[in-house]
Amino acid sequence: MTLLSVKNLRVTFDTEAGVVEAVRGVSFSLGRERLGIVGESGSGKTQTGRSVLRLIRPPGRIEADAMTFDGIDLMKASERDMRALRGPRIAMVMQDPKYSLNPVMRVGEQLMEGLRQRDGMGKKEAHAKAIEALAAVQIRDPERVMDAWPHELSGGMGQRVMIAMMLIPNPDLLIADEPTSALDVTVQAEVLSILDNLVRTRGMGLIFISHDLRLVSRFCDRVLVMFKGKVVEELPARDLMKAQHPYTQGLLNCLPRIGGPREPLPALDRNAAWAN
Amino acid sequence: MTTLTAWLRDPSPTSRRQARLGQAYLAWLRLKRNRLAMIGLAIVALLIIVAALAPWIAPHDPITQALRERLQPPLTPGHILGTDDFGRDILSRLIVGSRITLFIIALVAVTAPVFGLIIGTVAGYFGGWTDEILMRITDIFLAFPKLILALALVAVLGPGMENAVLAIAITSWPPYARVARAETLTVRNSDYIAAVRLQGAGAARIIWGHIMPMCIPSVIIRVTLDMAGVILIAAGLGFLGLGVQPPMPEWGAMISAGRKYLFEQWWVATMPGMAIFIVSLGFNLLGDGLRDVLDPRNSGK
Amino acid sequence: MALIEIDTLSVTFTAKGRPVRAVKGVSLNVAQGESYGLVGESGSGKSTILRAICGLAPVSGGTIRIGGQPLPHPRGPAFSRQVQMVFQDPYASLHPRHTIDRTLSEPLAIHGIGNTDQRVTQALNDVGLPPNFRFRFPHQLSGGQRQRVAIARALMLEPSILLLDEPTSALDASVQAETLNLLNRLRAERGLTFLMVSHDLAVIDHMCDRILVMQHGQAVEELPREALARAEMKTDYARSLFAASADRMLGA
Repeated sequence: MTLLSVKNLRVTFDTEAGVVEAVRGVSFSLGRERLGIVGESGSGKTQTGRSVLRLIRPPGRIEADAMTFDGIDLMKASERDMRALRGPRIAMVMQDPKYSLNPVMRVGEQLMEGLRQRDGMGKKEAHAKAIEALAAVQIRDPERVMDAWPHELSGGMGQRVMIAMMLIPNPDLLIADEPTSALDVTVQAEVLSILDNLVRTRGMGLIFISHDLRLVSRFCDRVLVMFKGKVVEELPARDLMKAQHPYTQGLLNCLPRIGGPREPLPALDRNAAWAN
Repeated sequence: MTTLTAWLRDPSPTSRRQARLGQAYLAWLRLKRNRLAMIGLAIVALLIIVAALAPWIAPHDPITQALRERLQPPLTPGHILGTDDFGRDILSRLIVGSRITLFIIALVAVTAPVFGLIIGTVAGYFGGWTDEILMRITDIFLAFPKLILALALVAVLGPGMENAVLAIAITSWPPYARVARAETLTVRNSDYIAAVRLQGAGAARIIWGHIMPMCIPSVIIRVTLDMAGVILIAAGLGFLGLGVQPPMPEWGAMISAGRKYLFEQWWVATMPGMAIFIVSLGFNLLGDGLRDVLDPRNSGK
Repeated sequence: MALIEIDTLSVTFTAKGRPVRAVKGVSLNVAQGESYGLVGESGSGKSTILRAICGLAPVSGGTIRIGGQPLPHPRGPAFSRQVQMVFQDPYASLHPRHTIDRTLSEPLAIHGIGNTDQRVTQALNDVGLPPNFRFRFPHQLSGGQRQRVAIARALMLEPSILLLDEPTSALDASVQAETLNLLNRLRAERGLTFLMVSHDLAVIDHMCDRILVMQHGQAVEELPREALARAEMKTDYARSLFAASADRMLGA
């Protein structure tokens, strides 16, 4: 069953320096599965993710032949309908929790805000639900975290809180934009396994955006490789090592390896013709 | 024209000057998109043109009295905005008075912000005792209402345009010092300042070459937004008879003179009031637009 | 004799009136021409050590010696010509209102070195940037290009020691490879000594001869590079850090 279908998505920015095409004709469809979007910065992967929520601010413009989510035409939906979708049905986790949490509100209040206002829950019920959500992202001491201010949380803790907050309304689709790249490696692994677990058990769709091809392949079912606003290769994650496209191969090989040779790392070939 | 814009838009300029002009051109393009800012700019430009051409475009002598034509209402033939209690053409007085307004604005704009900028960046960069002393002095100046302090200064120095300017400048630098200090505090700990310190740069070089350029945009914005206030204080001093002396056509003094006739001959006070209002609005709109263009937090995106 | 000698260094910050001990008695030695890595998670105090060497962090105990000489306070021009640093975030380490030309010629102006034009073009060339980048502003450059400028700036005074504070963690993997290659080439050409901080074991392994694992401001374990690849750690913490980087192993 297709949850999200995007056909020929284009994102353009009219700037003083001329028109910039960030996304140039991207098409994909997504069921209740985990889709990875990989590319370098400037490849348009983040803009693709944001377009699904229509979170592109002017002077940016979104165009698409079709963009439907669960039967709803996202291109025609009113701003009001979009607001109803963002959060309850499509959630987004960003790179840095520092900028996503309200600094002048306690974590608990932020978690409960949506429950109380949108779902009209009582204080007690909302509190219990928030504690449950924090426990689901394996926060050991949820009561203490509820009372904490965002600046008192470490990066990993903050990102877990963000994930908990996004998952409370039980969305059908989660868009995670570099959710772990601001975190330490040991924390990164934990956050990823939490995310993985939640997506599996709740049967959500997931769009995982990252620049780290290996990370994405370990974690997703299918991978889109983007280059200069275009998808250059789409492949099942398990076939990553058999990637055909030289750009994908380049992305795979440019990371240093522990115990690897001391010779210069292979440079990534960026042939502009691939994006035409 | 196209070769010029191409030169300005060149992504790899070949000289310092071309790089700087190219940046200025981009800023101008950004400003041009903001319609309100363009209206503000037009008003300010109009003020400058009128002031420059005042003696040639003023239809009447602004000072010679013509008691027979006193207190003519607006739209009287020959006196489109009417005449005042000495029969002088109000339009001509406004036009010539724009020179005084512009003179005051220009003098305040080149003195107070520069002084405030120096105090603020020095205090913010060194911190500690330097900061304490400079900022407490700033606080003392801020503690007095601006107009009262200016009044006291003019009372000591004696009335007159130069003294009015001096008094306004002395009373209006503290906010710039505050703005510059706040900006300095955010810039001081940045990596690019650490880098230049690591290269062995002294305090004077860092403050002058590296910190001030980051503070100037906020100060410029603040200056344009404050210009309305400066006009009003100058007008206030004029109104109280402590600024520009009669028969010079200063806008504030003109309102003061029209006060006696406010109910029967409203135009005598209203016309200069409108002039102050329009010019203040112009500077405010321009300042708002400049904020969007110059704010360092917006650049680089 | 080691070029950099750090002996029981402690750094204590004051945050909200309370002392925070960021580095607690760390000792290390780096030989001339060596590349030494500091690894640890955020808050382990690894970057603070670099800042302490530069005089940008309050040292509360211990000594730092370069070439056998204790460092003067303030650091002075001789230090600038010997030690330079490349910062983590190339978006924050270049002055946003200075052209690349100004950024690169500033150290020359400070030290009264002439021949600016030629040196600046040479420096751009050395880090692999085209000469027409000279009068661009940082926001006209990509992250990798900015980091090249930052490296060029650090080398303007021809120092013998380069402190690298996570020089590639803000960059894409592909750009990281280019930057690491550039750093290795420059080190070979100029005989530089590196003291590098990273949270990425694979990057450290690729760049460094010896590695110090840090946690909570303390030195946990020092390893030669060969021991890392063979997973010969003695402490649990170093092992857990290694385990978390398992996907960065050769053949993974």
